[in-house]
Amino acid sequence: MVKEAGPHLRALADGICDAGITTFCHVPSSHVAPVIRDLEARGLRAILANREEEAVGIVGGLRLAGVPAALVVQDNGFGNALTALSTFAIAYHVPLPIFANERGGLGEYNSMIQAISGNVPEILAAVRIRVERLGPSDPVAVWRVTARAAAELATIQRRPVVTLFAALHPALEVVA
Amino acid sequence: MKRLEALEVIDRELGSYPLVVTCGATAREMDSLGRRNNRLPLLDSMGLTSAVGLGVALGTDGPVGVVDGDGSLLMGFSILPTLATLRPPNLTLVVLDNGQHASADSMPSQAAQLDLAAAIRGCGLHTVEVGDVAGLAAALAAAVRDDEFTTVVARIQPGNAAGIPFLLEDPVVFADRFVAALRGTQP
Repeated sequence: MVKEAGPHLRALADGICDAGITTFCHVPSSHVAPVIRDLEARGLRAILANREEEAVGIVGGLRLAGVPAALVVQDNGFGNALTALSTFAIAYHVPLPIFANERGGLGEYNSMIQAISGNVPEILAAVRIRVERLGPSDPVAVWRVTARAAAELATIQRRPVVTLFAALHPALEVVA
Repeated sequence: MKRLEALEVIDRELGSYPLVVTCGATAREMDSLGRRNNRLPLLDSMGLTSAVGLGVALGTDGPVGVVDGDGSLLMGFSILPTLATLRPPNLTLVVLDNGQHASADSMPSQAAQLDLAAAIRGCGLHTVEVGDVAGLAAALAAAVRDDEFTTVVARIQPGNAAGIPFLLEDPVVFADRFVAALRGTQP
């Protein structure tokens, strides 16, 4: 069954569009799929990558060429992407907005994924990548504004900025 | 054909275009031929060169080149089906295949055990194999002229050129120069 984006994920897509992102690179994930489909439906160019570090390279090249591009991935891929993020995006000052759905928290059904996803904020902090987080206690309007501002901050700072959003949290449906 | 000889040909044929260059001795030897602002050496991002070059090509109208190595390409092999899907006509990928990680104490790469060109071709990519300077020059000229995404696999001798200095600049210096060159401005 194809999942549709709820109000929070639509607001996230709104914010990505508000920031002027025209192209995004994604890695397959069922829980980020509604965002990917929403952005595609709005006319953004979607590029499918096979691994997260590959996506970092592609989006990094696009950004150096002046294309307002972003990554849309799942947080368990940060383990794959860490060397690319640090030795390329950080070292070369590449503006890299990254939107990643969180796994391993409330609503999780997979026993092992928290082994990586539960540590992602600390992993990213260790390489000094800024992280913004969005959850069910954040109003829909905040999701939109935060997504836009995070993308803009990445551009201003010329660094990766990660927005972690709790797409699986069961309270998203309650507060919607 | 030594790597430095291959790089001289690449610099002659593709030097006026944006060029993303893989790390280690390849980047250093390329830089030893004379610095160009439109050249982006990836100093430590092994396996990422072709992905970055793909992104640059997708964001640029004119020709773009990538100089990858067999070892680096094998580390990021998943880029091949992505390249095959997107096929940017303005991109030329040159793979310098010496069958070893020459910058990692010349340890053998798995390319020594496989037909790298056949593997690339198996992904559906237009692939040309060359083994000498004249063949490389002709393949690169054709790749630019034909406006079709082309991979040129160039067999080169193992080893590195002697006496080539390290690139010690902050990577952002290269990035700034590269971006300025892409935009036609001064860094």
